[in-house]
Amino acid sequence: MNTIIIDGLSFALPLFIMAIGGIYCERSGVTNLAIEGLQGFGAFCGALFAVCIAPYFAGDSPVPFYLAMVFAFLGGTLFSLLHAMLCIRFKANQVISGVVINILAMSLTEFMTKQINASIFKAASNKFVLGVSARVTVPGISSVPVLGAVFTNLYPFEPVIALIAVIAWYVLYRTPFGLHLRACGDNPHAVDAAGIEVGKVRLIAVLVSGALSGLGGICFAYSISANFSSNIYSGYGYLAIAALIFGNWKILPTLGACLLFGFARSGGYELVKILEMPSSYQDLVMVLPYVLTLLMLVFFGRKNHSPRALGVIYDKGAR
Amino acid sequence: MSDYIIEMNHITKRFPGIVANDDVSIQVKKGEIYALLGENGAGKSTLMSMLFGMYEPDEGEIIIRGEKVKIASPNHATRLNIGMVHQHFKLVSNYTIAENIVMGMEPVRKHLGIFKTLDQKRANEEIRALSEKFGLEVDPTKVIENINVSMQQRVEILKMLYREAEILIFDEPTAVLTPQEIEFLLEIIESLRRDGKTIILITHKLEEIKKIADRCAILCRGKLIDVLDVKETDTKTMANLMVGREVNFSVDKPEPEYGREILKVEHLTVQNEDKFEVVKDVSFSVRGGEIFAVAGVSGNGQVELADAVAGLLRPSGGSITLNGKDITRAEIRSRNLEGISYIPEDRQNVGLVMDLSLSDNLALKSYFRPPFSKGSVIAGEAFTRYSDELIEKYDIRSGQGSETIVRSMSGGNQQKAIIAREIELDSSLLIFVQPTRGLDIGAIENIHRQIVEQRNKGKAVLLISLELDEVMNLADTIGVIYNGRIEKIADAGTLTPGEVGEFMMGVGGRHEKA
Amino acid sequence: MKKHDLIPFFTVLLSLVLGIVVIALLGKNPFLAYYNLLQGSGLAPKASYAGHKGMITDFTSFLNALTPMLLASLSVLIALKAGLFNIGVSGQMLAAAFVATVLVGYSELPAVLAKPLVILIGLAVGALVGGLVGYLRHRFNINEVVSTIMCNYIVQFVASFFINVFFVDPVSRQSKNIGAASRLTLVDTVVGDYKMDIPLGILVAAAAVAATVFLLGKTTLGFEIKAVGNSSRAAEYAGIRVGRTRVLAMMLSGGAAGLAGVTYYLGYFCSMQPRVLASTGYDAIAVALLGNSSPIGIIFSSFLITVISKGSTYMSSTAGVQAEMASALTGIILLISACGAYVRERLDRWKENR
Repeated sequence: MNTIIIDGLSFALPLFIMAIGGIYCERSGVTNLAIEGLQGFGAFCGALFAVCIAPYFAGDSPVPFYLAMVFAFLGGTLFSLLHAMLCIRFKANQVISGVVINILAMSLTEFMTKQINASIFKAASNKFVLGVSARVTVPGISSVPVLGAVFTNLYPFEPVIALIAVIAWYVLYRTPFGLHLRACGDNPHAVDAAGIEVGKVRLIAVLVSGALSGLGGICFAYSISANFSSNIYSGYGYLAIAALIFGNWKILPTLGACLLFGFARSGGYELVKILEMPSSYQDLVMVLPYVLTLLMLVFFGRKNHSPRALGVIYDKGAR
Repeated sequence: MSDYIIEMNHITKRFPGIVANDDVSIQVKKGEIYALLGENGAGKSTLMSMLFGMYEPDEGEIIIRGEKVKIASPNHATRLNIGMVHQHFKLVSNYTIAENIVMGMEPVRKHLGIFKTLDQKRANEEIRALSEKFGLEVDPTKVIENINVSMQQRVEILKMLYREAEILIFDEPTAVLTPQEIEFLLEIIESLRRDGKTIILITHKLEEIKKIADRCAILCRGKLIDVLDVKETDTKTMANLMVGREVNFSVDKPEPEYGREILKVEHLTVQNEDKFEVVKDVSFSVRGGEIFAVAGVSGNGQVELADAVAGLLRPSGGSITLNGKDITRAEIRSRNLEGISYIPEDRQNVGLVMDLSLSDNLALKSYFRPPFSKGSVIAGEAFTRYSDELIEKYDIRSGQGSETIVRSMSGGNQQKAIIAREIELDSSLLIFVQPTRGLDIGAIENIHRQIVEQRNKGKAVLLISLELDEVMNLADTIGVIYNGRIEKIADAGTLTPGEVGEFMMGVGGRHEKA
Repeated sequence: MKKHDLIPFFTVLLSLVLGIVVIALLGKNPFLAYYNLLQGSGLAPKASYAGHKGMITDFTSFLNALTPMLLASLSVLIALKAGLFNIGVSGQMLAAAFVATVLVGYSELPAVLAKPLVILIGLAVGALVGGLVGYLRHRFNINEVVSTIMCNYIVQFVASFFINVFFVDPVSRQSKNIGAASRLTLVDTVVGDYKMDIPLGILVAAAAVAATVFLLGKTTLGFEIKAVGNSSRAAEYAGIRVGRTRVLAMMLSGGAAGLAGVTYYLGYFCSMQPRVLASTGYDAIAVALLGNSSPIGIIFSSFLITVISKGSTYMSSTAGVQAEMASALTGIILLISACGAYVRERLDRWKENR
């Protein structure tokens, strides 16, 4: 039971932070299907940085990890500039832009990983090996039954994500900037008439989603795969999108959706272990989050109200 | 120093392909109510948009309170105490009144000196006080999507007053109001003037100008025609100057010769997505040779009524009978084939497929029948032949004839194309929703003529219009809709515009069904 | 030819120029690299060939790779015309191939029965999956981008499971090879002096292109698809059944994807790798966008993209440029063609306002 909670949480939280980024972007009116590519690119940047500076730190020092998070953050932001440019400046179709970003990220990072491994590290590899980051347990609370599992065996990124999530919630719902952002997704003309620059607000929203996606990506790299490789593109970016659709573009319900995905996944793995099925059955378990997504969309998709101006290209001249 | 608070001298503004303002010069005195009169596309809104900082002039200068200024943004205009109430409200539907008004100038609280929070309480208090001061009471906690249009307009006015505007621009403010609400608005404008504000009123409604404006500048196709003293000028002169020629307001309509009943609607109820009844228990009928006009303020269910008859919305109760056949549950195509033509309110998103050619659009409702197709195979030449024929007959102007992509055609010609297609279907029932919205007088006259022509041919016409004049001019029978119910049905000759207005507001008479 | 039919040419030109810059920066000879791409695809002669192989061998091999690419791009195109984004082509390919492999590939049927059956199954399974996606969109309003991606992963893992448990070849770690009778490519055929692989699938692809041109240009269904893809509200107003049209379009799209799948896994290759989806599905998006979303344009763009990916192995071994450069180049082409859509729109608006 505890394993389910622990593993579920460690999957759900990076998913959640990526979904929050998506919420920021879409609430401002820009469709974001690029989370998959953004998290991959962010993870690439973070991982690259980590393996570059690793020789300068002790073997089990957590510093490269934290620095990697910063770089993943920055890398995701940088790559999201492309999406911002295409959607805001060039007024391109936002769905196409998102898909293009994903494909570009996949091909670019794959190419650059192999290239950098070959030229700088003189290794014929298509991965950056990171290792799994050490887990931490909060003393005291962790001995509480069930609830304590939430504080046991935490990856260090989990509290970081939790903190960032709280800040993101606060900014979106309690500050003037958040007010402007949410208004852009409903009626950008109103925001424009109030003297606020819609393009600027949307740009910031897209950059935030890039940053948070990158963060999510590096967290997955450090926990699930212990490396950066093309496996980072496992469709979790799309899961994040599905989560925010269920969450009706609101932060708290989206957390619920992410937790559901996380627990479904870890629950599935536990089931395989308990029933002592051979490891190839793990493939079936991996299917669970995706099937769940489809089922949830079938049953709960109807009630959703996406932001009114989502995906609508903002044209100042239009009346 | 002149007593002009605003001077706009030799203003020229160009957009790709059109000169919106051509060397226009106007001067507005402090404390006066100055009207800008002109047809759609005359350049009135563009001129005022520059005053509000949404565009900058290509040539010319703007002088405010004696000082030359370059108004680069709405913020700048606000700082100059200029405010604008737009024709299409710029409100965020899921925010409260207070949030909408304060957005961009929010009162904030700083926690620990750094974290800025929106101070909801103070915003609500300030708005409440403001609304009471100007006699525009509102409840600041109400959400925009739950209040009516007239109240929303108040919010727009309060937005200006919150920013301490001294110069207030109103862009077509009465387009969405009932006669009574218009009265009320004009009173508010008067009281604002008494408070020392300067008002600029953009409109094409001559009677309103006559009621409150001091002076009136007339614009036509981007040029300033004249500036008149309103008390000394009659509406006919104003209208002629506005259009550039003699205008005939009334339509030649012979006495009605009614045929048999073509459309019968009984106890029709329609719900919207939130399960709210937007059409409630509506019953009426339309005979051949009759124009049945549904009058009402925007948003009272008339569009949903038309959509339900045409098949675009599913009714939740009641029945619709066409030529004796029950079509309540029928699919759109079979209704069309039974004999319904529909000219929708939204030309571009519903009436036409913008990125297809003119010939494809003209065949939009017939492509599946011979001669346009045999079985599943399309006969391209038939499309072109038909399209060429209609272009000729209805004078549809376009860049490349039948091959023109409809998106590149002007609004007026797009509407001509839709009307051409729908009339040629030779249906027994024609539904027109807001057919003359945004068109110039020549086009309006033309469409009115066509509507009467079809009525004279014995067709049943269901006309939904927000323009009271249009309704009074064209209707044989008038039905007034309010809150989803038909409050009154009567012969056109038996109702005055004022009475119609009362029914549009939900006051007046008992429930009488013809 | 209208002005903006030239845009794809500029897109390609610009991307190739960018590619030159990148390759040069890597210290390799870009022109040699590009020539290698042509050589690897059998469009230019190599210095020497192994026994019984010649340029014609490389060329037929190129056609072999082109076939699934062309079909996959048609799949994306048809969906795009209806306003739908079929990102799930790879998954549909695998699903169709899996069923075909299990039912026919491992059977003892003679070639004259097996091959047509494979094609039919490809069509049917693909259409089924596509139809499902279309139905989810129609009935539950599920965005097809999300649902097709979900289907991709579901198919990938389910197929992987079955392969690993029931059909695995312990040596290659892939599914067992199918019999030659059901393979759509005639491998190692001797023609005159040369040995080559003859892809029968290219005929299927050609027929599919012709069928698509006919469908979109000359049928009522094609008219409806275009109307729905352009403005679903206007289409509904015109009496077109929007949901049904979308489902049909997705079925056709899925069918094409299924054909791509069988020509890929039971033609170009003869087995499936577990846990891996072909990149063809994603590259097809680039091809469709680049081909300006017209069936003829797609022939040219799929040609180009296949040259890049097929020739990349030769380029890698000869010019020393990493094979991954090919996918990077494809990515750049995609990016620029997305911008190309912007250019096209600007041109339209500019023409409109004159």
